[in-house]
Amino acid sequence: MPITETPAQVLDCKGLQCPMPVIKTAQAIKTIEPGQVLELLATDPGVEPDMKAWSSRTGNELLAIDQEGEVFHVFLRRNG
Amino acid sequence: MWTDEGEGKVLYVQTHGVTDPGRCATPFFLAASAAAMEVEVGIYFTMYGPTLLQKDVVDKIGPKGDQGMPLAHFIKQATDLGVRLYVCQPSLELNDLALEDLIDGVEMIGGAAFNDMAMRADAVVSF
Repeated sequence: MPITETPAQVLDCKGLQCPMPVIKTAQAIKTIEPGQVLELLATDPGVEPDMKAWSSRTGNELLAIDQEGEVFHVFLRRNG
Repeated sequence: MWTDEGEGKVLYVQTHGVTDPGRCATPFFLAASAAAMEVEVGIYFTMYGPTLLQKDVVDKIGPKGDQGMPLAHFIKQATDLGVRLYVCQPSLELNDLALEDLIDGVEMIGGAAFNDMAMRADAVVSF
């Protein structure tokens, strides 16, 4: 499903290893408003299972994960 | 001790110390990840574990790789997310340490408190 919404924030975690993308995402999502979308850019190969686990634990909605070359684009909606 | 404010509880146990730097940082990585999931997290340092928390050691050791970051960086990353650090007196004595030798914020507990935390945790992960 393509994401048509413009993210409220883009968090660049390219080149960062586990656990930094998770930690930075957890911090960044608190800086946007409930209902807004955060786009995470990451190259860590574990980001897909990590973001599924993190979003289901924290109640934030995982909208999509698109891979573009080595870069994963993860779209998360902050829970309200 | 647990506050029951998180979405779950994970207790990590670190038994390895300064002589094994490759085993020094992973519990902090996993603890930080758990804390980022809004889980309540503690790390209990026993056996040689307390040697990792010495004030004059945390800046001098670190895991292999990670752009040469010292252990102090990973400890702060975890504690900034709410991870709590625990030691017990016999483990300090085993390593000829006192609580004053350790970084600020380390809490002293005993065997009963540890076992109570373990039984009330959703998971206990031991290294």
